[in-house]
Amino acid sequence: MDTVLTNTNTLFFKINPSLKFILISSLFIVYLFVQNLNTMIWASLFFLILYYFVSGLSGKWSFWFVLITLIVSLFSASAMILFGKGSHIIYHQSLILITQESLARGVLLGLRTFTFSLIGMIFATTTLPVPFFYSLMQQLKVPVRYAYGCLAAFRMIPIMAEEFMHIRQAMRVRGMTRQKGVKAFCERMTRYTITMLAQSIRRAQRTAIAMEAKRFSMTEKRTYFYEIGWSRNDVYFVIILLLTVALGFVFSSYFPLTPYTNVLDQ
Amino acid sequence: MSKGKNTNLRLNLSDILVTIVIALVFGLVFRLLGPVYDLVKPFGLHLDALLYGIWFIAAPFAALLIRKPGVAFLAETAAALAEMLFAGSGGVINLYYGLLQGAFSEAVFAAWRYKKFSLGIASLSAFAALIASIILDAGYAYLPLLAGWNLILYLVFRVIGSVLFSGLFPYALVKGLEKTGVTQSLRPVTKEDYNVLK
Amino acid sequence: MSLNDRESWGVTNLRLAFPKKKSMLFKDLSLDYQKGEKILLLGPSGCGKSTLLQVLSGLVPDSVELPMRADRHAVPDNWGFIFQDPDTQFCMPYVDEEIAFVLENRSISRNRMSQLIHHYLDMVDLKLENSHQLIRTLSGGMKQRLAIASVLALEPDVLFLDEPTALLDPRGTVQLWQTVRRIGNDRTLIIVEHKIDHVLDFIDRVVLFNHKGEIFADGPKVTTLARYREKLDDFGIWHPGVWKGYEEKQLDKSDDTFGELILELNHFEVLHQKRVKLFIEELMIHRGEWIAIIGENGAGKSTMIEGIMGLLHTKGKLSWTFPHPEDHVQFVFQNPEYQFVTDSVEDELAFSLRIKKMNEDEIARRVDQSLERYALKEQRLQHPFQLSIGQKRRLSVASAMINHPDVLILDEPTFGQDARNTFALLDLFQQLRQEGTTIIMVTHEMEIVSRFATRTLTIDQGRLVKDTLNESSKEEKRFGYGFDEHEHVIF
Repeated sequence: MDTVLTNTNTLFFKINPSLKFILISSLFIVYLFVQNLNTMIWASLFFLILYYFVSGLSGKWSFWFVLITLIVSLFSASAMILFGKGSHIIYHQSLILITQESLARGVLLGLRTFTFSLIGMIFATTTLPVPFFYSLMQQLKVPVRYAYGCLAAFRMIPIMAEEFMHIRQAMRVRGMTRQKGVKAFCERMTRYTITMLAQSIRRAQRTAIAMEAKRFSMTEKRTYFYEIGWSRNDVYFVIILLLTVALGFVFSSYFPLTPYTNVLDQ
Repeated sequence: MSKGKNTNLRLNLSDILVTIVIALVFGLVFRLLGPVYDLVKPFGLHLDALLYGIWFIAAPFAALLIRKPGVAFLAETAAALAEMLFAGSGGVINLYYGLLQGAFSEAVFAAWRYKKFSLGIASLSAFAALIASIILDAGYAYLPLLAGWNLILYLVFRVIGSVLFSGLFPYALVKGLEKTGVTQSLRPVTKEDYNVLK
Repeated sequence: MSLNDRESWGVTNLRLAFPKKKSMLFKDLSLDYQKGEKILLLGPSGCGKSTLLQVLSGLVPDSVELPMRADRHAVPDNWGFIFQDPDTQFCMPYVDEEIAFVLENRSISRNRMSQLIHHYLDMVDLKLENSHQLIRTLSGGMKQRLAIASVLALEPDVLFLDEPTALLDPRGTVQLWQTVRRIGNDRTLIIVEHKIDHVLDFIDRVVLFNHKGEIFADGPKVTTLARYREKLDDFGIWHPGVWKGYEEKQLDKSDDTFGELILELNHFEVLHQKRVKLFIEELMIHRGEWIAIIGENGAGKSTMIEGIMGLLHTKGKLSWTFPHPEDHVQFVFQNPEYQFVTDSVEDELAFSLRIKKMNEDEIARRVDQSLERYALKEQRLQHPFQLSIGQKRRLSVASAMINHPDVLILDEPTFGQDARNTFALLDLFQQLRQEGTTIIMVTHEMEIVSRFATRTLTIDQGRLVKDTLNESSKEEKRFGYGFDEHEHVIF
């Protein structure tokens, strides 16, 4: 994962991770109550611009990610577009009924998912696990056992990925892949999962014991190797985020691109 | 934190770590399944709803395995957090779904006072997570505005999917894992175990 | 007496059982030790030494709840514990963060941390350009030394070491014990170990356990080991004279004639993420050869055999003389658990035969035969994951051999095995080879290379740099030299 990220020395990496986490997750609440298609269109556009400037992904990755995310997001709204309720019919054949209302709702849903994916991606690509969990402990008072538990678990991801490759190879060698059909497929998935889980559980238990052997649980009051604090960057971040959200709302009232200001009407 | 004899149902570091790691394994599976899941979406026929059940698996699985209060909630939350950090599609949405689904799942095990860990309870817990997801979807995805037949199709598929993938499947997985012997040290130690020392 | 003034710790009349087990692992076991002692615990695998170490440190029952009770259970105030598996001792991604984790636990103030981190890294002689390095990029031996460094950050008086070199190659093993020896001077050491070559010179007391988890001997190193020398072979301990003892019992291996060509590689490349990881210009392999592939960690040995098996992308010529290579070539992974696909030993053996739709009578006959040959008869119905390390390895080889393949490729088959299991495996490979099976194996164990292999391939930085027929070396060996020469070819 660490090879995909380009430069960690940008503004968004230097923001207090707890602040970033809380603000970014609270955007969910904001856009959950947006029923104006114009606002959603402008918001997704502005977040796309923000994503372009701050994402930690290298160029090739981010282009493909955006494209695929957009397509998938619109797919996820396909039921609403094809089978939603509405009275102004655009297209009708047997069960398929596309109406203006359902189309507007579908597009809004798709764009909303798209925006959340972008926001999530901004967070995921500019946040390193270690500072994130340190900040959760220091600013949000998350119990240390959970925070270090997460960190220890994160350390195992590359090991698990490598293990997954090995198991896949081993199953191939044993001829597991030669069997065809749904039953064989289920059998194979179960084997994969059980072997992965058995190894991971054992690894987790051993790691927990090793951590306790280093007197982890006995500490009442601990010091921190990294102290995550506040800086001017946090102010910039809040301003940038507020501006992005505000611009979406402002543009939608001054430059409404569609007539659908409330998709829930009718 | 009292250190009495009856605190062995409290989560220790090993329980926490195992639960999070399980969540990660499923998170990884989710991430790998994600594209498959996205591919069946475009038909609008809710075939994805059938697969949707797999997202509830972490909670019942962890609860069946470790059998202590809190693990179901922790597992589902950690899985959702992992999905967000791996940048799965949907991003921050996952976190809210994870929190609510985990809480609903946990409630089922709590209702039986963490004494029953049968197939029925596992399925019920998956069903509870499903209710949580429908509550969120009603607001987020405008469920009530779908054509009637389509909505029913969606609900039926989700129920089948959730019981199948997050009730039956985790139960079978735990049974399979029990045979490997790794589950033994995860369960709380009982009085009978101490009796051997006499 | 001055001896009694020294601090002493240990257990008296310890009773301990694993949950859901009918019998006790320890019944009224007592063991005491005093400050400054350096003790080696020896015994057969599964006798409970590792569990005892955890009891002595207090990890059982404080962190691991096991049913236990003892009349006395005295745990030292400051202790450190080194575990077997290099991959499961760390919770942080980077080297400096891992040591800092311990310092945080001790509430050491933040501004002293960097200096202390370097101090502890120096103590174990871990020289890194930058201490902010990913732990997973270190070799197994370096990881274990990092584990020691992070434990030293606890400033322990007593160190418990639970087979710290079981998963290390010979070089890592030597370096680890040099480190322990250096830092252990003024500390108490309690060591569980199966490879005792490098441990013997700095311990002073030996405790021997039997299969039932009882202590049957406990005393000064020299007298105890002299008295129970033959027990070491029974327990599968790697001791200095172990190969010599084995050689005396070894099968005759006069048959060194090779058959027809079975595999040809020409301008063969193995690719990983579009990069060439291994290149071999030309290589011919013949029936009946025992080929050892050697080289440093990360040189590309495993890549080579995985490429030959077609598990990775390859370019160039790779041609078996068999029409369907998958029926003639079998592969055994380093971790046998990855390749188990069923819930019982007998199903595991039958699996590949059932895929081929062989009739059940024939399957049953072959399974019985294998159970006998690989000494797994009593484990027939057990789950493969529940077997001992040695049994798992035998099962993985048995399930590969049940199809009577012509070629058996193995990735470090004796890795982590005790001496007894290793010798049993070598006997087996020797038999297989005499029956006409070609054996290709990656190994770090030079004794195996010089005693068994008919040909040695040396891989260095992704290239085949040396290809020697061992015919001549065997000649030399008979005259009593040639051994050392082999050693320094590699290191």
